Amino acid sequence: MAASMNPTAVEARTLVKQYGATRAVDGVSFQVGRGEIFGFLGANGAGKTTTLRMLCGLVSPTSGQALIDGFDIHGQPLEAKSRLGYLDEEPFVHPHLTGREFLEYIADLYRMPRGPERQRRMERLLRLFELADRDGELISAYSHGMRQKIGLASLLIREPSVLLLDEPTNGLDPRSARLVKDLLEELAARGTAVLLSTHILEVAQALCRRIAIIDRGHIVATGTMDELRAQAGSEHASLEDLFLKLTAGPESRELIERLLAPNS
Amino acid sequence: MMAPPAIRTILGAEVRGLWNRLVKRGATRLVVLGALLAVAIVVIGGAVFSLGDAAAQFLPMARDAMLAGGFTALSVLMLVVGFPSVIATFFVGRDLLQLVLAPVRPVEIFLARAVLAMTANLLISGILIAGVFGVGVGSDASPVYYALALLLVFVIVMVVTSFQVMVMSLIIRWVPARIARDFAAGVAALVGVGFYLTWNVSLRRSFGASRVPDFSNLAAFAQRTDWLPSAWPGHALSAVIAGDWSSAIVWTLFCLAFGVMLVGAAGILYQRTLLAGLGLFGGGQAVWKRAPARRPKSMASGAGSPARAIARKDWLGYRRDIRRLSRLLPALLFPVGYALTLIRPSRTLNGLWSDVAVAAFISMFVSMALAVPSIPSERRGFQLLRMSPLAMSEIIRVKVALTLPPVLALTMLLTIAMAVVGGVGIAELLQLLVLVIWLVIGFVSVGVSAGAIDPNFEAADDRRAVGLLGTMTSTGGAIAFALLSIGAFALFHLGAAAATGARLGPLPSTPAVAALIAGAGALLAAAAGALVVVLLVVANSRLRAYEGAISST
Repeated sequence: MAASMNPTAVEARTLVKQYGATRAVDGVSFQVGRGEIFGFLGANGAGKTTTLRMLCGLVSPTSGQALIDGFDIHGQPLEAKSRLGYLDEEPFVHPHLTGREFLEYIADLYRMPRGPERQRRMERLLRLFELADRDGELISAYSHGMRQKIGLASLLIREPSVLLLDEPTNGLDPRSARLVKDLLEELAARGTAVLLSTHILEVAQALCRRIAIIDRGHIVATGTMDELRAQAGSEHASLEDLFLKLTAGPESRELIERLLAPNS
Repeated sequence: MMAPPAIRTILGAEVRGLWNRLVKRGATRLVVLGALLAVAIVVIGGAVFSLGDAAAQFLPMARDAMLAGGFTALSVLMLVVGFPSVIATFFVGRDLLQLVLAPVRPVEIFLARAVLAMTANLLISGILIAGVFGVGVGSDASPVYYALALLLVFVIVMVVTSFQVMVMSLIIRWVPARIARDFAAGVAALVGVGFYLTWNVSLRRSFGASRVPDFSNLAAFAQRTDWLPSAWPGHALSAVIAGDWSSAIVWTLFCLAFGVMLVGAAGILYQRTLLAGLGLFGGGQAVWKRAPARRPKSMASGAGSPARAIARKDWLGYRRDIRRLSRLLPALLFPVGYALTLIRPSRTLNGLWSDVAVAAFISMFVSMALAVPSIPSERRGFQLLRMSPLAMSEIIRVKVALTLPPVLALTMLLTIAMAVVGGVGIAELLQLLVLVIWLVIGFVSVGVSAGAIDPNFEAADDRRAVGLLGTMTSTGGAIAFALLSIGAFALFHLGAAAATGARLGPLPSTPAVAALIAGAGALLAAAAGALVVVLLVVANSRLRAYEGAISST
């Protein structure tokens, strides 16, 4: 199917990932439409990053399919990858390049036409993320937040139609975090599909039209906030309450009491 | 119940961590590793033992020089090879931060770390022990000799480790923070190369063109260094062999006193610089401060080229990563040393074959140094390549193409120099150059493939960037390729000789025989080519299937 005709930008089809006896991801399926910001939530070790890495081709699924703009990331990797931007929670960067050199590297890697237009776009991104004044400074000297910013800039320079973001606001100061949120909304409004994995539930609730919650490798709920509330049977619950209810474990109050009990 | 002492706790955690890492590797890998280690011990240890035994028997007057020189040579080797381990153990590592925050005295940290740092040097000292025991057997030494040898080897390891800590502590105080670690590694590498080249030149003079080796230069070199404290254990042991017990006791006491002094001094310096060291090394990687980058020309046009992007990134990385540069420099300087040592009229081979041997060795050495880490040195950045619309075969092709020019340039330069010094004619020089081009292309391809077959993208430096399988593939593949290629070259020569009617011993010099020999040569060359192709295909498939976790370090 021609990519541009496909209303679904990202599709996970019964993705399974088995590591020895452990099934890290077990039959995960969902779809992300064009112009949609889709939240992907889960506790630590629930299978979020493995799912994202299967979607972007860094990890091969044991079974199932990951489609980007209709292209199977493992069957037609070059077509799929040219449309995709993935930001890891620890961005992949080259420490011995400056921010500008790193953007040049990424642009060349994706065969972006060289010339004034590319330069202008690079300058705009560096200014947007407040990295333009850091010319001459190697990425190895960047703070975590600055690495996150240059990682984001390296995605945006090539305008992918699909963004997979793992904790994109991790380490960012409040101003930069707000900038990223506004940027994602603007990109979605222009048709970019965004799959957002985050632990910050307020961000997810504010940005995402639909949300999937993964627990121990399974999707336990998918839908809009109202649909999630209906699934959990809690009409006015916040996303935090829903998350805790759907990924049920012992109540934190109970755990604290056990810990602090005499002779525990 | 009493809490265990801090040193025991620290060492216990390290031992537990080592054990967990070993167990994680799986039984098969452990057995292979154990078998390889056993073979290495038997082969290397046996060779050094036999050498010591033979030398002690046939050169009884040189026992003292041999032992003293052996201890000094091994000290230098430990100093250079073990330096990164010492830096890592004493000054780097986030676990050190934990120890500093815990109620543990710095002296306890120093002692626990000293034991850990010494393990790397103790492994290297195994070679010395084999040689020293060989000298003992060749000299009919008493049992006291062997017991004292073990004690003195331990002392020299302690001395070298303490010296390394002192040097690093001083560097931290005087060298700008951001380059301290890389500065130290670079100095250590260059000192090692300097010693090695001096040693090689001494050897070259000892084994000249004459039929009888002349050891006077080598002996003079050893004598010039026998005042060094690293030579004292050798003097003590040679005194035991000679039955001069008073000298033996005096030299042993000197060694022990020197060892205690150095350990004490290192302990004090370490306590004073521990926090400074953590401040320097606990954070990000050391970088040169640099001028603002020149803006790329905005008028450049055309589509971006991934090959150009990777080439530029690798070039900038090599220039700015002092650690990589400090590893690369010795690799480039060693061939010059080898060329100096080996460029001489051979007693057994004519000029062309002597040059073939040297050119093959040098091209293999330089290729391996540059090609094997070329893909693993991408580190976490490799994921950028995996996520880009580039086929893995393209990445391998780019890496081969980028590694070829420097290796080819260096090897051809040395080959031409050798040919000129050796008086090789133009026709033979051209043949040599064709062979060198063939060899370099093959070695570089084998090296890049080996790195791609077993990369360790989490490794902090190039030396650990390739796993055991990759190392074995690079060594085995390169040796097999060299044998097949040089075999083919020899057969082509023989075929050409047969075609011109030259005498070939029992073989008749006829056109049919010439064609047959040349055909056999072509088969060998094809086999060499096929070997390279197979390795490239395996590398491509391994990279495509690669999905090892890449940590955030």
